[in-house]
Amino acid sequence: MSAYPEKLEEILDLFDGLPETERREMLISFSENAHQYEPREGETFDLEDVRKDDECTDEVGVFLNVDDSGHARFKVRLGPKVQTLTRAMTSILCRSLEGSTPESVQDVPQDFVPRIVGAELVRLRSQTVYYVLTRMKSACAVFLKRARVSGGLTQSRQGAKI
Amino acid sequence: MNEKFSDYAHPEVLVDHDWMKTHLDDPHVRIVESNEDILLYDTGHIPGAVHIDWRRDLQDQTVRDYIREEAFAELCRSHGITEDTTVVVYGDKSNWWACYAFWVFSLFGHKNLKVLDGGRDLWVARGEALTKEVPQFARSEYPTPPERRDAAIRAFFADTLKHAEAKLPLVDVRSPGEFSGEITHMPEYPQEGVLRGGHIPGASSCPWKTAANDDDTFKTRAELTEIYENGLGLKKDDDVVAYCRIGERSSHTWFVLTYLLGFENVRNYDGSWTEWGNMVGVPIEKSDSA
Repeated sequence: MSAYPEKLEEILDLFDGLPETERREMLISFSENAHQYEPREGETFDLEDVRKDDECTDEVGVFLNVDDSGHARFKVRLGPKVQTLTRAMTSILCRSLEGSTPESVQDVPQDFVPRIVGAELVRLRSQTVYYVLTRMKSACAVFLKRARVSGGLTQSRQGAKI
Repeated sequence: MNEKFSDYAHPEVLVDHDWMKTHLDDPHVRIVESNEDILLYDTGHIPGAVHIDWRRDLQDQTVRDYIREEAFAELCRSHGITEDTTVVVYGDKSNWWACYAFWVFSLFGHKNLKVLDGGRDLWVARGEALTKEVPQFARSEYPTPPERRDAAIRAFFADTLKHAEAKLPLVDVRSPGEFSGEITHMPEYPQEGVLRGGHIPGASSCPWKTAANDDDTFKTRAELTEIYENGLGLKKDDDVVAYCRIGERSSHTWFVLTYLLGFENVRNYDGSWTEWGNMVGVPIEKSDSA
């Protein structure tokens, strides 16, 4: 059985074997769709984590909702200086992790990233493609910790900010 | 000519938006975009611009070094660049990689080189034209350069060690935190594999950013003179070596010192801190940042 959520596996299948030109086009397309996953005005979340870390070029806000069935839905707001590849990965992750449980998000291995990005585009300064996944996992960890402390998912939804 | 440019030592190496807009279709001009963000060109670029990637196109893929003479000639041929073509470079990050490309083209002696002042971000901020159309140019003739001019504008590790021991001017253009050793990564960037924090003994700290305005344009001649000559104490005939982490920010400073202020003997130590900071048996200094 795949270690990846089903939707992510589908996206990986899309990228597998793509010629370099088409891979770039696909990544550009995903990056241009990243704005679809920004939180809307007035939208509320179970958890908001907005910060600028030293190793990232701009502020990144991760917003998490978990429904009564325990399915997660992420929104991400990226500062204008965030690079195109990171925008693409954000779009891919928001789409592919929707409906996963916070526990399963935490278990997603990072080794799928090179399958999407490809050898040509992987380089030292593009390592922040891993960053958004790390932030999503971190949000899930905090959400679950709060859920455990408060005794259940429902009680953990306090519109909390990290 | 742009009034600001006319004060520089070599005003011919800079172009502004007005110049660029009147040369978009000039067959004697080739516009080159060079970025850190490796997909940025694909999202849209100045009409007619070709993409030169600092790692894929300018660096050897198996040796930590630049391409050799024949590969450079082939790169130019593939973009329809001749010996006489005016190559105008621009890019993201305040033109770091544009200056890096300018420097590499200079290694091979290409004569007609210019930088778009303000780079990509100012072009975009002002709402100037962008396209996703990738131009196709007929292959050109470009003779293989007789040599790569390493000795003239490039410092290797051994050169830099000798330079430091002789207490000649060394300019560390990284951030104050990198210079002092407080941090081992560039602010806002991931760790790039440096084992030690600090600077080359005897180096002076003068971050590249001091030469740029907030809109990524270069500061005026008077401002640059104040920074580098009055502030840092450099003289035009000094033998100067500039370095950063991998040579891109120091390309920016190399360009400023050489072309905007007219220094005659500036070299870029492209091995920079990722080489020096990791080298076995080599001393470093730590200090309060200036």
